Amino acid sequence: MKFSEEQLRKLALIAISELGENASPDKVKSVVSKAVENANAERIVMDQGSSNSTGKIILTAFGLNRPGIISAITKEISVCNCDIHDLSQKIMDDFFTMIMIVDITNSIQDFKDIQERMSQIATELNIKIYTQHEDIFRAMHRL
Amino acid sequence: MPYDFQEVLETIRMTEIEHFDIRTVTLGISLRDCSDRNAQVAKQKVYEKILRYGSKHVQYAKEIERKYGISIANKRVSVTPVSIPFDSFGIEEFIEIASAMDKAAEEIGIDYIAGYSALVQKGMTNGEKNMIMSIPGALSSTKRVCSSVNVASTKAGINMDAILMMSDVIKKTAELTKDKDSIGCAKLVVFCNVPEDNPFVAGAFHGVSEPEIVLNVGISGPGVVLDAVRETGRGDLSALAEAIKKTIFKITRAGELIGREVAQKHNVPFGIVDISLAPTPAEGDSIADILKAMGVEDVGAPGTTAALAMLNDSVKKAGLMASSSVGGMSGAFIPVSEDQGMIDAVKRGNLSIEKLEAMTAVCSVGLDMIAIPGDTPATTIAGLIADECAIGVINDKTTAVRVIPAYGKIVGDIVDYGGLLGLAPVMSIRELSSANFVNRGGRIPAPMRSLTN
Repeated sequence: MKFSEEQLRKLALIAISELGENASPDKVKSVVSKAVENANAERIVMDQGSSNSTGKIILTAFGLNRPGIISAITKEISVCNCDIHDLSQKIMDDFFTMIMIVDITNSIQDFKDIQERMSQIATELNIKIYTQHEDIFRAMHRL
Repeated sequence: MPYDFQEVLETIRMTEIEHFDIRTVTLGISLRDCSDRNAQVAKQKVYEKILRYGSKHVQYAKEIERKYGISIANKRVSVTPVSIPFDSFGIEEFIEIASAMDKAAEEIGIDYIAGYSALVQKGMTNGEKNMIMSIPGALSSTKRVCSSVNVASTKAGINMDAILMMSDVIKKTAELTKDKDSIGCAKLVVFCNVPEDNPFVAGAFHGVSEPEIVLNVGISGPGVVLDAVRETGRGDLSALAEAIKKTIFKITRAGELIGREVAQKHNVPFGIVDISLAPTPAEGDSIADILKAMGVEDVGAPGTTAALAMLNDSVKKAGLMASSSVGGMSGAFIPVSEDQGMIDAVKRGNLSIEKLEAMTAVCSVGLDMIAIPGDTPATTIAGLIADECAIGVINDKTTAVRVIPAYGKIVGDIVDYGGLLGLAPVMSIRELSSANFVNRGGRIPAPMRSLTN
């Protein structure tokens, strides 16, 4: 798992506050690197557990076109710390369609929460949004 | 973009519009180590073992449901045929085991538990006799327990003594559950050539050659196939077979993925995928509608059997290519009460028991969820079961009878269970007597085709 700079800073701050007066740059460094290692070890175990899983979802949105659809969806995705890997979008007459491949591996939310947020957006914008795990598409359409 | 627009839309259409779902994830649990001379101890062992392995079953399935956005309609449990570990028990003690199964099923939050079963195609032990005689009591005193008895096989022939017992058991069960339209019979299946890894309740059980615990998955999706058939338009039959195969291939692959994920969560071995078109009373989730979309005016029209044969064969072929773990029934189910199209065909007078019997020669199971008049003699039911077994034995395939002699009802009445079991119009059955034939008893010897060694 890759840690962002912000996450590392947070870890360091926690380490400093826990170490209290004993905190020295070396000690903080060793505590933080240990925490990162542990997190990575956990990650490896998890990866072995679901070796076929990619951690990506496919998000499909369609409905009557109106301003702000992509903005609303992508904003939510960035709030969840998800990464957009691919995006294809077309306007057919008045109809808006979009397919997006999103990596949710580093998401702070689990898939269910993301689905719920998306269905909220769908209701607000009066469009349809479907989110499904990429594994399903791979199983069905790729050998 | 690694997937094109059509592919993405196809998957969404299947899951969101066409009712493609995982019909069941069934956890098979061996009860062979639960035997004990003391029935109370055995009962406790059964309860504890089902809870030990099954307590997280519903939770895990729901997690996978959420992860993939594909619904898993039923979460169920099957156990070793109870006649095997508890062969020393009497009738009352077997009913105690059924109540332990019922209680465990309720505790882990599942609607049905199957495996109150016996395999008596060649002959029966004293324990098996007791177990069969306990069925009416067990099914009328429990809510969730399902029972099945295998009375014939290609290798062993047809055990007419067992069939005679079972026809009495069916009548008795109908009577004991008469307050609820004889619902006990909806949970009781008589089999020929029963598969040992079938995940579909009521006929499921955990076969004797199965491991300690296993997870099997049953996939359905008549709606998906219906739309594929409709889309083919007026293409010829080869094109139609191709369209069905492609669709089934895709849903089998998705189903296996889900099954393996649930098995992995449980940390138990994955067993088989059973790709069976199992209808529900929901609109569009009907085998009858597929047959009609293929071109017959209504189910029961000449040509229905051929259409069903092609459908069944295409399902099997596609399943076989999509997964190395295909098992169970794998084909098309043709229950009457669970399929709105079938119900309508019966009500219109287009579908008779005789035509259904012909259709069972080419579908994956048999006479399923058919209501007949309550005063039908047990020997007539025995004749019906024997006919069905003959089809299975000679064609080396699974056949089954789940018939409801609805207590106190006559032709034209309706039995209504609601939910997945649906409703069945009481059908007429010939009043000619089979008594002198079936009462001979004994066993119809195994056919030529059994001598394959």
